[in-house]
Amino acid sequence: MSASGLAAAAALPDAVVAGQDPLARGPRPRGGIVLTIVIAVVALFWISPLLLLVTTGLRPLSDFVANGPLSWPSELTWQNFRDAWAIGKFDDTYRNSAFLLVVKVPLGVLLSAMLAFALSKLKIRFRRTIMFAVFLGLTIPIYITIVPVFIMLRSAGLTDNVLGLIGPYLAFGIPLEVLILQSFFRQIPDSIVESARIDGASEWRIFFTIVIPLSAPALITVAILDAVATWNEFLFALIILSSDTNKTIPVGLLSFQGQFSNNNTGLAAGILIAVVPILIAYALLQRWIVGGLTAGAEKG
Amino acid sequence: MATATAVRVSAPAPAGAPRKKRYGGLTPWLFAIPALAVYATFLVYPALTSLFFSFTNWDGLSPGYDIVGVDNYVKMTQDPVVRQALLNNLIWTVVTIVVPVIIGLALATLLNGKVRGKTALRLLFYTPCVLPLVSIASIWGWLYNPDSGVINEVLRTVGLGNLAQPWLGQDSTALWAVMVPAVWLRTGFPMLLYLAALQGIPDELYEAATVDGATKSQQFWHITMPSLRPAHYIVLALSLIDSFKVFDMIYAMTYGGPGTATQVMGTWMYANVFQYYQAGYGTAIAVVITVIAVAVSIPYVLSQTKEHT
Repeated sequence: MSASGLAAAAALPDAVVAGQDPLARGPRPRGGIVLTIVIAVVALFWISPLLLLVTTGLRPLSDFVANGPLSWPSELTWQNFRDAWAIGKFDDTYRNSAFLLVVKVPLGVLLSAMLAFALSKLKIRFRRTIMFAVFLGLTIPIYITIVPVFIMLRSAGLTDNVLGLIGPYLAFGIPLEVLILQSFFRQIPDSIVESARIDGASEWRIFFTIVIPLSAPALITVAILDAVATWNEFLFALIILSSDTNKTIPVGLLSFQGQFSNNNTGLAAGILIAVVPILIAYALLQRWIVGGLTAGAEKG
Repeated sequence: MATATAVRVSAPAPAGAPRKKRYGGLTPWLFAIPALAVYATFLVYPALTSLFFSFTNWDGLSPGYDIVGVDNYVKMTQDPVVRQALLNNLIWTVVTIVVPVIIGLALATLLNGKVRGKTALRLLFYTPCVLPLVSIASIWGWLYNPDSGVINEVLRTVGLGNLAQPWLGQDSTALWAVMVPAVWLRTGFPMLLYLAALQGIPDELYEAATVDGATKSQQFWHITMPSLRPAHYIVLALSLIDSFKVFDMIYAMTYGGPGTATQVMGTWMYANVFQYYQAGYGTAIAVVITVIAVAVSIPYVLSQTKEHT
């Protein structure tokens, strides 16, 4: 399961105002201390794998071996992270993943927004057919496309190159992005678009100066969901990228894992290096992620 | 829509005359074509090409191949691994939908009560959902380590050391062991959706029910559950679409092993194409699971297409 699949929730009809946290409203609850404690304990248990990862990554291997994984570290060290960074070639994998993010996400959002605009605000022929064909893409498993995509990229000389991933990543991002954006664009009143048309604005001008600015919350939500999916994608990257210097973080982590099977602290540090940026990004952007996922869920 | 048409026609249409449906000419296509071209090139065309390959005996390497008709599909009916993979796909789909939905609904109901720090708690429960699947696989592979892993260590610590075992390394436990992180990862999503939906139920309904003497459990079954119907639909539809496509988690944790204990259609396809050089057979496996996934999801896709039209 992928973040993108989950995110398809944002496809809910009548997305209210994406980005606005629909769960944050209501009066502040009072009391309920017992319930709060119970849930907090469950929550700590729930994320205990991550907590254990932190305590393990920060201790020397000898301490881990001597006292077991559950003990509190008797000594703290950054050495595991230094070792893991170098052995895991995180210089390269971070650069490659970041490059994909910067190129693919804005491009994907722009292309999807254009198609969504055509489907929601312009009179395009075969509209229902196009929507059906595009939304069907949500259900297509990536692995039915990998053999032909691999052949295409090989003949274009784009295997073992992150550039080769851009096309397939765009294609698999489009269904969800279009689904969310067209449902959002629909809520922009036709009267605004019509009055701009009467004033002589071209469709391009309407798109860039009216629709895009009015849809900033939806565009940001879609961009974040797409960024998470891009950062986490595994199968295409596994097949297309072969040399260590060209790998993305998920693929790099897999080979790293193999080399560290007996070094528990180093492995923990390496996994943390791979996940900490996304955890920080999530903590900062969670309002948008949650908004995108739950927009419209209140509709009865 | 009616307003739009009225503005665009130059002369007012005679009253009562059926208005001709108008299309916007070329401009809409200029907006639509870039995305459609990418979608067609990297998704539709490869999927159709795979369909073609599934009727060949191509090995994935040589330049040539023969068209062998439905041989690959016939072979699948006799392949015990395919039978196991389909069964595993089915078990996987049912468990990774039902368990997260139940836990997610329970968490949402609890978090919707008088609880402090809801935002922080919600954040914690949803955290696994944003991690790369491969990192989740790494974390759990590490927890499951037979010798130094936390899970066996916990069992030894609480005096159940005789239950410690190589969770991922034996047929009897491997599939269930891989499903645990999948459940962990997938619970946050229904929780969020149910929370949003629960907040949309008016308090008056519960107040009125309380006045009428309805118990908490009656309120849950007669007010909460019916009100959550749209959320159930979305959660189930999207979980179904996602569960069918399982590949990453199993590949990164067990590669389908030990033996074939955790093979699903995705990993068995991968093994055939990239390890056994049977691209024709591998793509036939991919075609079967795609057809099932698409067929099952068509009601959802249609409902999304029909929305607002």
